Amino acid sequence: MDNSIDRAADRFAERLGVIDKHTLYRPFNCTLRSVRDLTPSEKMFRLAKLEGGPFGHRPGQFMQVSVLGIGEAPISVSSSPTRGDYLELGVRAAGTLTSALHRLKPGDEIGLRGPFGTHFPTDEMKGRDLLLISGGCGLAPMRALIQYVEDRRGDFRKVTILYGAKSPDDVLYKDELRGWRNSKIFECQVTVDRVPGGTCWDANVGMITKLIPPLQIRPDDTTAVIVGPPIMYKFVIEELCAKGLNAGNIVVSLERHMKCGVGKCGHCTIDHLYCCIDGPVFRLDQVANLKGAI
Amino acid sequence: MCRKDTERTMRLLTERQLEAFLRSAETDYDVRVPVALRDGTRTLGRLDDGRLALAGGAIPAKMTNVFFPQMDRLLTAGPDGPDIPKPVLRPLLVVGFTAQDAECLEFIDRFYAENYRDDVYFNRRDGAVIVCVSGRCGPQGRFLEIAGGKCDMEFICDGQSYLVLGYSPVGKALTEKLAARQPAGTATLTELQKESDSLAREDSRLLQAASRLLLEEKVPEEFWRSVSDRCIACTSCNLVCPTCTCFDVFDRVVDGKVQRWRTWDSCQLDGFMREASGHNPMGLEHQRTRRRIHHKLAADPKRWGQLTCMLCGRCDDACPTGIGVKAVCREMVSKYGSV
Repeated sequence: MDNSIDRAADRFAERLGVIDKHTLYRPFNCTLRSVRDLTPSEKMFRLAKLEGGPFGHRPGQFMQVSVLGIGEAPISVSSSPTRGDYLELGVRAAGTLTSALHRLKPGDEIGLRGPFGTHFPTDEMKGRDLLLISGGCGLAPMRALIQYVEDRRGDFRKVTILYGAKSPDDVLYKDELRGWRNSKIFECQVTVDRVPGGTCWDANVGMITKLIPPLQIRPDDTTAVIVGPPIMYKFVIEELCAKGLNAGNIVVSLERHMKCGVGKCGHCTIDHLYCCIDGPVFRLDQVANLKGAI
Repeated sequence: MCRKDTERTMRLLTERQLEAFLRSAETDYDVRVPVALRDGTRTLGRLDDGRLALAGGAIPAKMTNVFFPQMDRLLTAGPDGPDIPKPVLRPLLVVGFTAQDAECLEFIDRFYAENYRDDVYFNRRDGAVIVCVSGRCGPQGRFLEIAGGKCDMEFICDGQSYLVLGYSPVGKALTEKLAARQPAGTATLTELQKESDSLAREDSRLLQAASRLLLEEKVPEEFWRSVSDRCIACTSCNLVCPTCTCFDVFDRVVDGKVQRWRTWDSCQLDGFMREASGHNPMGLEHQRTRRRIHHKLAADPKRWGQLTCMLCGRCDDACPTGIGVKAVCREMVSKYGSV
């Protein structure tokens, strides 16, 4: 794949800084190319810029998504920039804005600001084993990283994907997960907390933490990435520490409700850090000792 | 500031002469001054809103709201895409900052400029002239600290008249336009400066001690629970604090057009950090109480290298249950440390 994408993203970010100086809160319009159902409550939106061209994002970053008249909300990008000049967002209808998004149809326009925030440290991850752990909606931002790794597979060593959802119905990106599980380039395991009677399910049942102890991990050569619901972090981190990983080799993406995305509104502070500009992707040792972070 | 240069342009004027000067400045500036309304309220307004009331100390409302108002439009939907507010046509000239207010403004200027520059804030702030009022004109005869170079101009009360000093180029230019009531003696300025320098600094030492306790994590959760038990979540502390910058964003329709606005928000409210998923990192009242103090005295020093409470005293005046910053720090230091 094209290695110039990272450099293009850097150039875009520099340019964005200049543009934003004058229009910090003005979204740019995008066309909704396609919408597809992921689960009964989650949909996948593919967007393209009206004038075309890349969005300049990196896996792990987020966009402020805007529906004028309804509002704006931060949503993680779930596609890799290596896939082309489009952006995909996996969105659960949980609030006013996300419910409004779910009512949109292909051809509608959506406002975006961004990309914002830190990204997964793909450069530092090169040449290392990767352990990519996500739960629930956390697979949406993780998918961007998985696609990136898939497209640059030679840059990384052993890649293990673990994903947990509440039930088979709640599993996101089912087709892609099936592909990753059957792929020779990944080791991929999926688990659900419970399987309702009469549901067909051919993977693990139980908490995601149960998938970690049996893994063969080289702690000094492994970077673990965790994205999921807040409750998941503590227990997954405990399992990873038991496997010998230290906080410097664990990366977390933290969810907060950013109202502005640019470090001004104060809604996403974690002690002295702003989740929107210092995060959402942090090395665990940056936040482990901050009250309320994990 | 070049002191000699400042002293050369210094003037001595009565409040009446200052009013005439401010009226003449209205040609070039949108002038805001402390005024006494008919009901006795002292507030920031235009010269025609009430009697000029320079004396009396800090205006009860935060002065920074001139640049970061309680509600501010971020954009309006237009046929060619969202239309953003333009810079103000006439720059503001704002009189009535105290030395502490000027420090607060200095911080929020920095806050809004760094990382991403907040163009909506700077639409008003760019080109604005900041005038501090100090000297022998505080409430109950108290002396107000001299701000010095923290502002563009300063009116320093000598008990009867005001020494007018210009610090920045625009401040000096405005001062030079003034005719002096009588030659302004530097002896008086030196005298007033000495009086300012001798003001007690106990509160500052108290704040530093509280900050150290927080940074060293010597304040237990039970302390915050006991303080939060007295909080009624009225949010007055946030609403009057000149360095509180948190805001919420919402859309509304005005005259058939969608507008996006921001409005002050309060970290003391349960929903402040609540996410659509229901996850709330500050879902407990004592966590929010801790946040209010911790942010100014521990988090901001880590991030910005400075305390962001400048001891303006507004939250202590406004809090109906007596848990403003100074009161909480006093209690904290008496329990867990020493000044």
